[in-house]
Amino acid sequence: MTGMEAISAHNGWAISAIGVTIVFTGLTVLSLTISQLHKVLAFMERKKSDSQKRAEGAKEIDVSDIIIPGDMKETAREYKMIIDRMDAPFSLPRLLELSEKCGLNRPYSNLNDLIGSGLIEPDGEGYYRWKGPDNP
Amino acid sequence: MENMFMDFISNTGFAMADYRHIIMIIIGITFIYLGIAKHYEPLLLIPIGFGILMGNIPVFKGLGLGIYEDNSVLHYLYFGVTSGVYPPLIFLGIGAMTDFSTMLARPLLMLLGAAAQMGIFLTFLGALALGFAPNEAAAIGIIGGADGPTAIFLTAKLAPMLIGPIAVAAYSYMALVPVIQPPIMRLLTSRQERLIRMEEPREVSKLEKIIFPIIGFLLCCFLAPAALPLLGMLFFGNLLKECVVAERLAQAARTSIIDSVTILLGLTVGASTQADVFLTPQSVGIFVLGAASFCVATASGLLFAKIMNMFLKVKINPLLGAAGVSAVPDSARVVQMVGQEEDPTNFLLMHAMAPNISGVIGSAIGAGVLWSFMS
Repeated sequence: MTGMEAISAHNGWAISAIGVTIVFTGLTVLSLTISQLHKVLAFMERKKSDSQKRAEGAKEIDVSDIIIPGDMKETAREYKMIIDRMDAPFSLPRLLELSEKCGLNRPYSNLNDLIGSGLIEPDGEGYYRWKGPDNP
Repeated sequence: MENMFMDFISNTGFAMADYRHIIMIIIGITFIYLGIAKHYEPLLLIPIGFGILMGNIPVFKGLGLGIYEDNSVLHYLYFGVTSGVYPPLIFLGIGAMTDFSTMLARPLLMLLGAAAQMGIFLTFLGALALGFAPNEAAAIGIIGGADGPTAIFLTAKLAPMLIGPIAVAAYSYMALVPVIQPPIMRLLTSRQERLIRMEEPREVSKLEKIIFPIIGFLLCCFLAPAALPLLGMLFFGNLLKECVVAERLAQAARTSIIDSVTILLGLTVGASTQADVFLTPQSVGIFVLGAASFCVATASGLLFAKIMNMFLKVKINPLLGAAGVSAVPDSARVVQMVGQEEDPTNFLLMHAMAPNISGVIGSAIGAGVLWSFMS
């Protein structure tokens, strides 16, 4: 059997119509959900910061909460040793220079990772501070 | 002694080969050439090409050498294909490699990935019309998803005897995306449309990236449970990548696991194309339908983008619709290439990744739907 007859005999039209509908529904629902996700997260973040402001005094950030990925621990330890020998806050170019002098591997990429993971944070005035645990 | 020598001669590949073996060996060498010299999907075409060579050495039946003979080494390796083990592992690696940021920043573009899946269902209808059985037609239709692992997975479940031609057709057309898509893209869009610049996407937070694979998995698999093996692994791989604390596992998934599985999958799929199984009129039909499905999928994405533009205040570049076919990242690269032919300062690659990745999700849902209808 071939042609339109074969398509009709095997419910081809119905299967295709339902299939296309399901694929569209799935991706539309997913699209709608993720389009709202950042708004929900921003709302929750606002609520959280409001309640924090209401709380008495600013709480110190518990640096032990910062999770250092397994493969970054050694890198973090090496950079912490250099940072300990610098003034706080420290200059990033100076840290780069010292890490290169110490022969550390891939200093640009590693520093980028440390900043990305929140272990090193800018102080807003062009310098940086170590925000990770004292013994990473 | 003379008899022994003549026996030996008659058992060599030279004596047993016929014109079909020669044709298949030429196809295998062509694949290797395209992979090495033209850089068309080399990670796939080289293993498949060499697999075709391995599968088409004429061997004496009964020695346990051929891929279709029980107890042969190739048969054991091929088990990962016929049982549907390899494709989900490849999806795990893809998930661990993929950054969903652009899709999260612009979820509307996901609809282009859905539109391009029209190719699957139109090819399914075409295959039925040509006289293929429904389960075979479903397996052929999935070529239109432009997703090799999904095509192999569904074919292994629905029409295992067609794995060779379907896999080779799917991967050949994926490799030929830079050749197939641009003429269709130029034909269906005007110069003004190709010049449209996309808005910068918003920044996506880390938390969004971590939550997305969980939500995506739950939504998609509740809707189409048969997509569970593929989408489960895709989203799991992505969660490993984004959660940061399981970096070692993510690293393994996106390097050693996916590389090992790609080698085994490519080699065994190639070896499954033995001349007597592969060179049939059915295979020719599959190749013709496969080419048509790629063209239909590309056109569907482009036309849907143009329809969307009728309702959008801020227009999108309709070329992005062509990236809805899930050949990641090749079709996104083609969008970038065609866009830059008109305006070298227009960068569409990042935006094209959104429909491209949603196309992967869409084709896996499509495969799940077809599997559930046919089984």
